[in-house]
Amino acid sequence: MSLHFINAEKRIHDSVIFPSFDLSVDPGDIVAVYSSVNVREQLIELLLEKTRLSNGEIRVDDSKISNNRQKVGILFLQDGLYERLSIEEMISFIKDLYTSNVLKDDVIQAVQLDSKRKVKIKQLSYSERKRVQLACLLIRDPDIYIFEEADQNLDLESKRIFVSILQRLKQQNRSVLILTGNMESAVTTSDRVLRLDENGLHSIHTQEAIEDQATLIEEKPLVADSVLPVRFEKIPTKINEKIVLFDPPEIDYIESNEGLSLLHIKGESFPSVSTLTELEARLLPFGFFRCHRSYIVNLQKVREVITWTRNSYSLVLDDTQKSTIPLSKSKMVELKEMLGL
Amino acid sequence: MMISLRRMNAILQKDFKDFSRNLAVSTVLIMPIGLGAFYGRGGVNSIEAHYMLINLAFVMIATFVQCCLIAEEKEKNTLRGLMLSPASTTEILGGKSLLTFILTMITVSITAYLADYRPANIGVIVLAFILSSFFYIAVGTLLGLFSKSVMEASVIVMPVVAVFSMGTFLPTFVDQYPFLKMGMYLPNIQLIELAVKVEAGGGFGDVLIELLIILAWTIILCMLTAAIYRKRMVD
Repeated sequence: MSLHFINAEKRIHDSVIFPSFDLSVDPGDIVAVYSSVNVREQLIELLLEKTRLSNGEIRVDDSKISNNRQKVGILFLQDGLYERLSIEEMISFIKDLYTSNVLKDDVIQAVQLDSKRKVKIKQLSYSERKRVQLACLLIRDPDIYIFEEADQNLDLESKRIFVSILQRLKQQNRSVLILTGNMESAVTTSDRVLRLDENGLHSIHTQEAIEDQATLIEEKPLVADSVLPVRFEKIPTKINEKIVLFDPPEIDYIESNEGLSLLHIKGESFPSVSTLTELEARLLPFGFFRCHRSYIVNLQKVREVITWTRNSYSLVLDDTQKSTIPLSKSKMVELKEMLGL
Repeated sequence: MMISLRRMNAILQKDFKDFSRNLAVSTVLIMPIGLGAFYGRGGVNSIEAHYMLINLAFVMIATFVQCCLIAEEKEKNTLRGLMLSPASTTEILGGKSLLTFILTMITVSITAYLADYRPANIGVIVLAFILSSFFYIAVGTLLGLFSKSVMEASVIVMPVVAVFSMGTFLPTFVDQYPFLKMGMYLPNIQLIELAVKVEAGGGFGDVLIELLIILAWTIILCMLTAAIYRKRMVD
């Protein structure tokens, strides 16, 4: 079954939450919508039919969403589990409530909680609870899955499990919609990333466009020209009216967010005046690497390269927050060459 | 609409497991039973004393426990999950009330037995007890829907506990304060009047009025609860 947003538009009083957009999530699709918290909450409320669209409609195949309540499964940010039940009891309860035919053992194995099946939910960690919540959704086996910030605050193991379950859902031809406010999570978990805000729905290219690589090659000689004679090594950032200069080795990574380059330094972010392409050109001699269309990373700070699936990767940095940043498939090849693998 | 027994049973079993591990709420079962044993051994044998205990058992189990169960579902965000499930309102509230009903009937019977209360006509009394327990469960559900947390629930349930357990002695003041006459129609007082008639050898026909008054209370409360549930759960 597929989920359609047709001409959907939402306004509250006079302010536009999102202008009208069309979006279809078809079976076998994993679509991520990157948005602010307000937009995400509105979308969830709309899907629950607690509020109405100002215009347009949301459809499941050809009928209204209220007729297909059981075909749509939502993984909420807040878990809503019975803390005093064990994992097994909780899942059996959901199975009985939904009169589902999915095997309990399969689901527990999918979220890898086999060894803890008799443990009460209140004794579990946040990530494990999230996995139980995911198991409760899997046992219902809906046709359309909606995830609200599913991998927020998850530990690495749970995140890996989550990504592999998403791949499995894709193979089973389920429609998956991921609502998130974290670009890294949107990019690693989905095939198609869209940004929804008051300016509408825009797709964000996760795969490098060919022209992008072309500009990259063109710019390389330019770098040599501009860097050598000037040898200006500081990167300026602008905070309020002040200009702060940073040494390139201080920078952990640079992220492009809505056209603005953000320098991440010791867990804080500073907006830069230059674009990502300009920064890349200047930083290349200092061991920086464009690992993704919207990210430049300081290779000196990379601790780990994680392979989620065959074509989704992340880099884990050695900074205080152990930040993870996405690494695109084509760049993985480049990186491997650089590392001499 | 068909009521699915499997779903109700699932909710009942889940609630039973949850309740038996929730000591903060399940220990209230001890109170009426303990008091019943204490009164029985102490040789207190007036019908008012018996019914203070029985009404206390009703209000502590049916109202207090039900109120805490509903409030906890709201507090822990689990009620949303239930409401999004295929279970209907009747199945959700029915499954929850079934547990409270069973607990209430067991506790009330044990309390009455330990307090040495032996009704003359057990059939009529049991019927009256069942009707009363529906009333108290509806009150509990109603209060549970109004409270946001278990803490809040256990506070707002206190005035109700006081009215329905201590209220048993209301008839003694009525002559002094005529404005309390209205209170004579409360279901707990009606239950005592019914019991007094039964002890005097009254049969089913003699207590029909009392039964009808209790029934009326129950129906009003159930309808009110269903209306509030629908209204509260939409937003």
